Amino acid sequence: MHRLWSYLSRYRFRYARGIVCLVASATLAMSIPLLLKWTVEAIQRKQSFRDISWYVLVMIAVASVQGVLRAFSRFMIFNIGRDVEFDLRNDLFAHLQKLSLGYYQRQSTGDLMSRLVNDVTAVRLLLGLGVLNLLNTPLYYIYAISAMVMMDPMLTLVALAPYPFLLFAVKRMSRMMMEKTVKVQEGLANLSSRVQEGVSGIHVVRAYAREDWQNAEFGRLNDAFKEESMSLARLRGFFPPLMKGVSGIGLLVVLWYGGSHVIAGRLSLGDLVAFMGYLHLLAWPTMALGFLISIVQRGQAALKRLEVILQARPDIIDGQGDGIDRSIRGEIGFHHVDFAYPSMGNGRAVLHDITFTVPAGATVAVVGRMGSGKSTLLQLLPRLFDVSSGTITIDGQDIRTCSLAALRRWVGFVPQDPFLFSTLIKDNVAFALPEVDMAQVRRAASVANLARDIEDFPRGYDTVVGERGVTLSGGQKQRLTLARALAADTPILVLDDALSSVDVQTERAILHELRDTTRGKTVLVISHRISAVRDADVIVVLDDGRIMETGTHEDLVARGGLYADIFQQQALEEELAEL
Amino acid sequence: MADAQREDVLGQSYDLALLHRLWRYVRPYRKQFMLSLVCLPVTSAFLLAQPYILKLAVDGYITHHDSQGLAVAGLLFAGALLGEFLFFYWQYQATMSVAQKSLADLRADLFAHLQELPSSFFDRHPVGRLVTRLTTDVDAINEAFTAGTLTIFMDLLTLAGIIVIMLSLDLRLALVTLTVLPPLMLILEFFRKRSRDTYRAIRDRLARINAFLQETLSGIVVVQLFAQEKKFFAEFNQRNRDFRDANHLSNIYEASLFSLVEAAGSIAVAVMLWYGASRVGAGFIALGTLVAFVEYLQKFFVPIREFGTKYTTMQSAMTALERVFQLLDTPVTITSPAMPHRPTRVRGQITFEHVWFAYKGDDWVLRDVSFTLEPGQKIALVGATGSGKTTISKLLTRSADTQQGRILVDGVDIREWDLHLLRRQIGVVLQDVFLFSGDVATNITLGRTDITDEALARAAQYVNADRFIAQLPRGYHEPIRERGSNLSGGQRQLLSFARALAYDPAILVLDEATSSVDPETELLIQDAMTKLMAGRTTLVIAHRFSTIQHADRIIVLHKGQVRELGTHQELIEQRGIYWRLYQLQYAPPSHGPQLAEAG
Repeated sequence: MHRLWSYLSRYRFRYARGIVCLVASATLAMSIPLLLKWTVEAIQRKQSFRDISWYVLVMIAVASVQGVLRAFSRFMIFNIGRDVEFDLRNDLFAHLQKLSLGYYQRQSTGDLMSRLVNDVTAVRLLLGLGVLNLLNTPLYYIYAISAMVMMDPMLTLVALAPYPFLLFAVKRMSRMMMEKTVKVQEGLANLSSRVQEGVSGIHVVRAYAREDWQNAEFGRLNDAFKEESMSLARLRGFFPPLMKGVSGIGLLVVLWYGGSHVIAGRLSLGDLVAFMGYLHLLAWPTMALGFLISIVQRGQAALKRLEVILQARPDIIDGQGDGIDRSIRGEIGFHHVDFAYPSMGNGRAVLHDITFTVPAGATVAVVGRMGSGKSTLLQLLPRLFDVSSGTITIDGQDIRTCSLAALRRWVGFVPQDPFLFSTLIKDNVAFALPEVDMAQVRRAASVANLARDIEDFPRGYDTVVGERGVTLSGGQKQRLTLARALAADTPILVLDDALSSVDVQTERAILHELRDTTRGKTVLVISHRISAVRDADVIVVLDDGRIMETGTHEDLVARGGLYADIFQQQALEEELAEL
Repeated sequence: MADAQREDVLGQSYDLALLHRLWRYVRPYRKQFMLSLVCLPVTSAFLLAQPYILKLAVDGYITHHDSQGLAVAGLLFAGALLGEFLFFYWQYQATMSVAQKSLADLRADLFAHLQELPSSFFDRHPVGRLVTRLTTDVDAINEAFTAGTLTIFMDLLTLAGIIVIMLSLDLRLALVTLTVLPPLMLILEFFRKRSRDTYRAIRDRLARINAFLQETLSGIVVVQLFAQEKKFFAEFNQRNRDFRDANHLSNIYEASLFSLVEAAGSIAVAVMLWYGASRVGAGFIALGTLVAFVEYLQKFFVPIREFGTKYTTMQSAMTALERVFQLLDTPVTITSPAMPHRPTRVRGQITFEHVWFAYKGDDWVLRDVSFTLEPGQKIALVGATGSGKTTISKLLTRSADTQQGRILVDGVDIREWDLHLLRRQIGVVLQDVFLFSGDVATNITLGRTDITDEALARAAQYVNADRFIAQLPRGYHEPIRERGSNLSGGQRQLLSFARALAYDPAILVLDEATSSVDPETELLIQDAMTKLMAGRTTLVIAHRFSTIQHADRIIVLHKGQVRELGTHQELIEQRGIYWRLYQLQYAPPSHGPQLAEAG
């Protein structure tokens, strides 16, 4: 709740202004029935037309000013709701950016999205509509009741007698509505997952010709949903008449009871009209009270859930080390590195006692079977995860003491899974640059062997990537992610099996080109194809999280170990592909 | 300008066409629909009667000090209130009932249609979007029923009624009072246009925020790796700001609109009193008429205030309707012929005749594939990934149709067959076993009630699945967790064997799992497969050497072509593709060369 106060107090002056307008508007609104009363009484007393005109003119003036003030009070307070929504969304986004890969492996994007959309809305409703009505309702009640009591206390009591009951009914029904709404939403969620399952398993359904069964299963949930919806509708149908009933029953009481007072001469017809006016004015705030409760409850619950996100601590702590501008040589050292995924319960180590160094400017390949830990090893360098024990150094400095921004400007990482943004191709390539530098973009694309592909697109570098533009093949995506890292021009380049969808010849050509153009850069590369990396200065062979062998291609083949085995197998595969 | 108008007109006739299609779903419930239509004017009438009763009370009884008459008026008023309440409620119930029933039918149609669509459709349309069509979009149409269409009629009816009654009560007073209307309408129109535009802007900008969020969260690692947090925050901030600004504007419009209508109501009362006062004084108008006018005016401005929101609800419902019908219009390309082949007995002979197939354009996945399987024969399909093995099983079950050539079962082109009968006769066991929510039994029978518990248990026992099922806490009634996470890979395999056996197909298509299981389960699987294949024409996409050994023949697919065909011994001797594949996939690497020499 601390956060709620901080948002409230941030906008306290604007709230204050809105509240001033609200109070003024309520005051004026409450004077209109009085003016009505005076006018009617004047008419009854057959006062001069001039006197009546005065009342009427005042009424028009009051109504106009009240309208303006009311408009101001409403949008001023509602806009604060939108401002808080804006702040909250920004705060959440900024915080989510700080959380590391580990967090996102535990949290589903869909879940986060729904919090960012639904919960933020609930908080906004609380601080806009909720606050407005929390102030407005008591204000209207105080004004109306005091005005009515001044005219006729007994009639007031009788006219308002149904109100507690109505308030109770509205409150109760709001709660029932909430419960039913939850049920309907559950029903909808069930339908969703049924459709999801039906579509995912459609091949099985078709193979066994069980469409009827699927339709029946869906029909069952569909019917249940229909029933829940109708039951909600039955309840919801009460609301509009109830709302009209609030003023209607009051009106009836005033007419009957008040009318007899008028007949008895204890009340003027003007009073009667004014009473009706006040009851009209109270109808809406009374309804508002009913749903106000659920707005407050939902807003608080939403805020609590958002707080959980905002309190999540980043796994990777930014180092306090030196500035981004420092240039480095690019020597990398792994010293007795052990690693186990923190989030995966069993805590089984994925990497054991990894020690090796990469001299500045060298190309080192990491080779091994699936699941040998080679990807994990490379992910430690840009600190996607932190080592469990041991250290990783760049130019002799522990990477945990460098600032993250600096580290990531030194290490260009090309991930296995080519994630691209749905922007222009040139924006994707120039991703890390402060602005698009076409010369650099073209150079990077040409080294990544992508220039020709891009030029084949009708809109060239201005083609949108993804659904709204061109659908790239797996190989094109990978080469684009490579170009993105190349354009960043980092002293260290890491390729995490980043060319797996590219054919062997192209991969080899790209790596060759890379060596020529990136002279002086330190390159760490994983490839599932040995032939692509055989020219590396050093090859590290990993198995089951341990380094088995290191050496040049020739050394390792001559040794006849694991590397030689894999190499032989891949040679066969390539032979096959050429048949 | 003229263009915009034409577009509007076109849009309207288009909307009518959509509504006409929707009517087909409402039609079965037209009685209830008519009931709701009948209730509408009645509700309106009760509503309109109330101020009139007030007038009667004031003029007839209160001014004449008639308490008894007042009691009658009170009863009448109570009656009118109750009438309005009841008829509104009936109307609402009837409408909602029609809405829920017809939309449930629409959803069922959509779901059934989805099942008929070719698999290529699902490659192009992500599941999430299809789910949205059946849920969010249908819900948007429901919203229009709940808060839109019909009540707009009622509102219009009420407005017209109020005007008519006021005019007949006192023509001149009414005309003077209604002078407030034209300027109000002009201003309303001004706001309506603007708030419609801002509403659109808000929707677009919210979509932009959400799309950006979704993408950034999916690619957050890339953002972090390239230290682009600041740039992304700036971008998000901009989108967030755009959204907020549009909302601020919309709040201003809506607050103005709301207050304007309220103020207009009070001003109309004032104007009416002004003019009325002189005439009451002159004895032309009764006080009660003035009171009734005050009440009518109160009722007049409420629906006017709500028109805007109802209009937007209608618009989004129209958009949703359009998308929903678009999905329903997606053609079903694979169907049974008009005069389907429905044999009483299926022998299980399969023939591929010069089959060519491509998922896209000229990208042939199968090129001129021909082979024949005699009833009961077992063939192992062997090839590297992407050689077209799975496509063969897809074509056989008509998940897709061939572009050239044909496939025959028992000498009849499969396109001549009754689609369901054909599929029933082909048992497909895929390596990635898909399990449905529900219990173990349901996952074997797939909801078929004509498979008895005994038959079910027999099938499970035959393929060695009974043992692990018996060990589950609730046996055959054990619920399957999401994606079968409470079963091991091997158990899922055995379950899918039981499923295939329970259906007793003449033809079996087996895609062997590559994932390794513990040796004990492996033996059970081997044994079950042998039993399952006995007496059935079997096409197996083989990954295990033992399976290949038991096959009558081996077909080697390479780059979409049948390159080699024969028994294991024959193919090894050829020293071609199979020989290499064999060493790569089926023999442990360290023993590879030795075995090859032995062959």
